[in-house]
Amino acid sequence: MTAAAQIDDVSFAHSGADTSALEHVSLSLPVGEIVALFGPSGAGKTTLLTLLDGRLRHWCGRVSILGASLDPDHPPLRACRADTGFVFQEFALVERSNVLRNVLNGRLGRMSPIRAFFGTPRERDLQVAKTALADCGIADLEDRRVDSLSGGQRQRVSIARCLAQEPRLILADEPVSSLDPTRAAEVLTLLTEAALVRGATVVFSSHQPDLARRFAQRIVGMRDGRVAFDLPTSELSEAAMADLYRDAAQMPAISLRVAS
Amino acid sequence: MRARGFASFTAAVLFAGAVLWSLATTDVELRRLVSSGPRIADFLGRMFPPDPTVMEEIVSGSAETLRIAILGTLGAVLLSVPLGLLASETMSPPAVYRPVRILLALIRAIPLILVAMLMVGAVGLGPLPGIIAVAFHATGMLAKFYSEAIDGVARAPIAALESAGAGPLARLRYAIWPQMAPVVARDTIFRFELNLRESLILGVVGAGGIGFYIQTYVRSFQYDKAASVTIAVVVMVVAIEAFNGALRRRFS
Repeated sequence: MTAAAQIDDVSFAHSGADTSALEHVSLSLPVGEIVALFGPSGAGKTTLLTLLDGRLRHWCGRVSILGASLDPDHPPLRACRADTGFVFQEFALVERSNVLRNVLNGRLGRMSPIRAFFGTPRERDLQVAKTALADCGIADLEDRRVDSLSGGQRQRVSIARCLAQEPRLILADEPVSSLDPTRAAEVLTLLTEAALVRGATVVFSSHQPDLARRFAQRIVGMRDGRVAFDLPTSELSEAAMADLYRDAAQMPAISLRVAS
Repeated sequence: MRARGFASFTAAVLFAGAVLWSLATTDVELRRLVSSGPRIADFLGRMFPPDPTVMEEIVSGSAETLRIAILGTLGAVLLSVPLGLLASETMSPPAVYRPVRILLALIRAIPLILVAMLMVGAVGLGPLPGIIAVAFHATGMLAKFYSEAIDGVARAPIAALESAGAGPLARLRYAIWPQMAPVVARDTIFRFELNLRESLILGVVGAGGIGFYIQTYVRSFQYDKAASVTIAVVVMVVAIEAFNGALRRRFS
């Protein structure tokens, strides 16, 4: 069986940055697994997820996603982009559109460009979108405008949009960092269960060790743009996870992020 | 603190210098202003009572001004959509948006009345040169507003649609347009209001509308009729301002 994602020796630096966001990262993600990317802020988790989503440019190394290799200089084809779903940390919803429209936006990559532009969903598009809404427990919100929703509801809309893509690989960038612990567990439960039902691979990033241990079968620890460990959750000690946050040098970076 | 004190002192000196320069070099004779008091009173007196018999001219002139403003705004919108896209940092590369922005600034710098005079020369008298002039003049501002509306949208939803596999047109339609639509509506209504105000005087240079009657009545010393037209213009401006204000509040 081919891997959902195969990364070989990838390095990347943001333009103008002194340090690399990713340094010689190699990783193989088997199909159907739920993986947590764990590590402090600035470890390269978001960059790695953006790379897997095909939205990063000018990196070096080799990456193949769902059997198709990525080109460092060009965006992947629309169908490939639709195969990988992304759940954004800050939801990235169209605030003035309603919930159903936002979820149907996840179908745009599955339509012909003409149908996508005129926005006439087929029966099947509507059906997939409504199933996604129901799976996220927000079927009753479909006519509400997004700017009238709470943070937890928005994250559910954002996950529903991702599920509406019918992705084979789901990438979630700190999907629950803005939610309280109870809501966070609820949202991760519905995300992982929906992925399981659909046979999709999930990679989510988090810096909450308890959530990573509870929901992931495998945890990839990251630090300073490198993979620090890559282990099944059962073989990973809590001490090893805490060790990623070992030095005080991380503290200013974290406090700066809060301040901004 | 000291730097700020120096700055305000400099500003005061510059302002006083500008006023003195204007007074000294312009032929402002205060004596003439005083002596012509009775004549000004006489002119104002001849405006009363306003002559109500020009109602027909007022109605047809106002309607023409309104038509010039509507068609001129429509023309400006049609020109501003492509130019706004070209002037936007989000949609165009610097090699395109920089020159387009300079072009728009140049268009804004040409007074409407000058454009109207040139157009009267080019296409003849009537509302057509007025419409062309308004469309041209308004584009300088409206295209800039549209480009700012495009650049003001949040990027994250666009990235989300790109990630979902949406093409550029679908991203424009479902991520960019819903965010900018209310801004575009507000800007367009605002520009329509300005177009209406500015086209009131276009008739003075022969470019159609109610301004034609103001000019005719003043030149032929029919001040009572000019007063009626002036009242009509004021009523029209106040009405359109109230109407547009109410409309704009709906797009928030």
